[in-house]
Amino acid sequence: MAKVAIYSLTVLLAVIFVIPLVWMFVVSFKPEGVSAITINEWVDFSDLTLQNYKKVLTESQILRWTYNSLIIGAITTIITVLISSLAAFAFSRKTFKTKGFWFILCASGLLIPTEAMLIPLYETVLSMNLLDSNWGIILPSLTNPLGLILIMQFMNGLPKDYMEAAQLDGCKDLRLWWSIYMPLTRSAMISIGIFYFIMSWNNFIWPYIVINTEENMVLATGLPTFLANNVLHVNTIMTASAIAAIPTMIVYILLQKHIVQGVSMTGVKG
Amino acid sequence: MRAQHSAGARWKKLLKLEFSAIAFLSPFLIPLIVFYIWPLLRGVWISFHTWGILGMQKYVGLDNYTKLLTNGDFFKYLWNSLYFVLLVVPIIILLGLILALLIQRKIPFQTTFRSIYFLPYVLSVSVISFIWLRMFDSKHGLVNVILESLGIPPINWLTDPGAAWWSIVIATVWWTVGFVMVLFLAGLQEISPELYEAADIDGASTFHKFRYITLPGLSSVMKVQIFFQIIAGLKLFGQVQIMTNGGPGDVTNTIVRYIYVTGFKKDMFGLAAAQSTLFCLFMLLIAAIQFMLLNRKES
Repeated sequence: MAKVAIYSLTVLLAVIFVIPLVWMFVVSFKPEGVSAITINEWVDFSDLTLQNYKKVLTESQILRWTYNSLIIGAITTIITVLISSLAAFAFSRKTFKTKGFWFILCASGLLIPTEAMLIPLYETVLSMNLLDSNWGIILPSLTNPLGLILIMQFMNGLPKDYMEAAQLDGCKDLRLWWSIYMPLTRSAMISIGIFYFIMSWNNFIWPYIVINTEENMVLATGLPTFLANNVLHVNTIMTASAIAAIPTMIVYILLQKHIVQGVSMTGVKG
Repeated sequence: MRAQHSAGARWKKLLKLEFSAIAFLSPFLIPLIVFYIWPLLRGVWISFHTWGILGMQKYVGLDNYTKLLTNGDFFKYLWNSLYFVLLVVPIIILLGLILALLIQRKIPFQTTFRSIYFLPYVLSVSVISFIWLRMFDSKHGLVNVILESLGIPPINWLTDPGAAWWSIVIATVWWTVGFVMVLFLAGLQEISPELYEAADIDGASTFHKFRYITLPGLSSVMKVQIFFQIIAGLKLFGQVQIMTNGGPGDVTNTIVRYIYVTGFKKDMFGLAAAQSTLFCLFMLLIAAIQFMLLNRKES
């Protein structure tokens, strides 16, 4: 009996969680002005239309924003994973006197979030002429030390035999990193990479500040322009949200295992 | 002569080791210094000036600080952010724990439930804000329609000062509670099943098992999560910027949005930099408390 009650609660909560998303999709296919707030409107399939999609895709730069988000996400992820892995290799496998100092410097990046340094960061990016550009978004987001720390912990767990054997063979450090440590830490790097990609894709406040022409916006910061543009109406707002949500939801369904694993890795160590 | 030579050689070798290691670190260190360390110091410098976006500047000493310490706005909006933290963190931790406990055992469609609860987390803040902006619409929103069918009078979610914060809280919980749930699920897996078996042999009740095995087993995940959520709450910006624009009035204006408006809308960079610097110190204080609390238990 108790089991049935618990299971019903689980189902009820799941229904509450998906209703907003289902509603978003339903409204996005309804003609302008129909809010689909009654059961009759939900189950009425006769008035479904692609008009909103056509309107959003042709009258806004949403495809351009999606493209920008993809490019920025991909570049950020690849660079961050590479430089984090390289630094993790040095911290994990090299002995040097100033290691402690550099490690504290790197880890200090966890202390202050971007939200608390908007003004001076803007000044810095402005002085480098990077405002309103992809690199203005990418470069400041490379300094998250979370991936470095996680890859380092992963490398610490690997046996040192490889290192010694390879050094006896006269293998140079850079090759050692590239051809032995990179492949060995592949699974950790994939999880961290996916996590970084989601973070970059959903990054809001910094692109919101640094980009000011519509063409250069990313998906997250482009959407709010729909509120300012009165041309587009109630239903089209939901259509735009749906278009923005669809790629993330597809990626989530395909890579769910990695995403959940990446989140538990990054979150437990926090 | 020979000893001296070998000492010099050892010195050289040490330096070489040092530099080869730093060479590996530098691709990470250079962006860190340019886009993190330097702006932090630069922010303090800017805060001693009147400074416009175009760079007009004049040294004014501590004027910006006295201005914002005597005018109560800074503390008002810092309190708003803290108020949000007080509302959202207990709910998110408790609901995350409940969701994790509901689906930890083998039940039909276990992974489907996990996917559904976690799904909103992968959406961007603009998407979730748009969805809830529409959900909370007083006439055409689903929330009031459902409330009405239950006999509850409609609420002006986004324009009523009392309800506005709850709109933001509900949207935020829906968005991020799946993240907390996944971490609790990972924490639950680390608890040895033998503990529960032993408790069963002793005839312990479900509540006792929860109180004396599950909760202590989750305590380290819980502490890390509480601080993670506190910091995430203090950073609140996107949801209020899109859903309420800080309103009604300035009820849901947060400290981050206040800094944003001062700097980028009112073009008072010096004052905003002073606000930023104080906010940084506040975040450092939180980090210090976290460090002390998390390390005390382990030793």
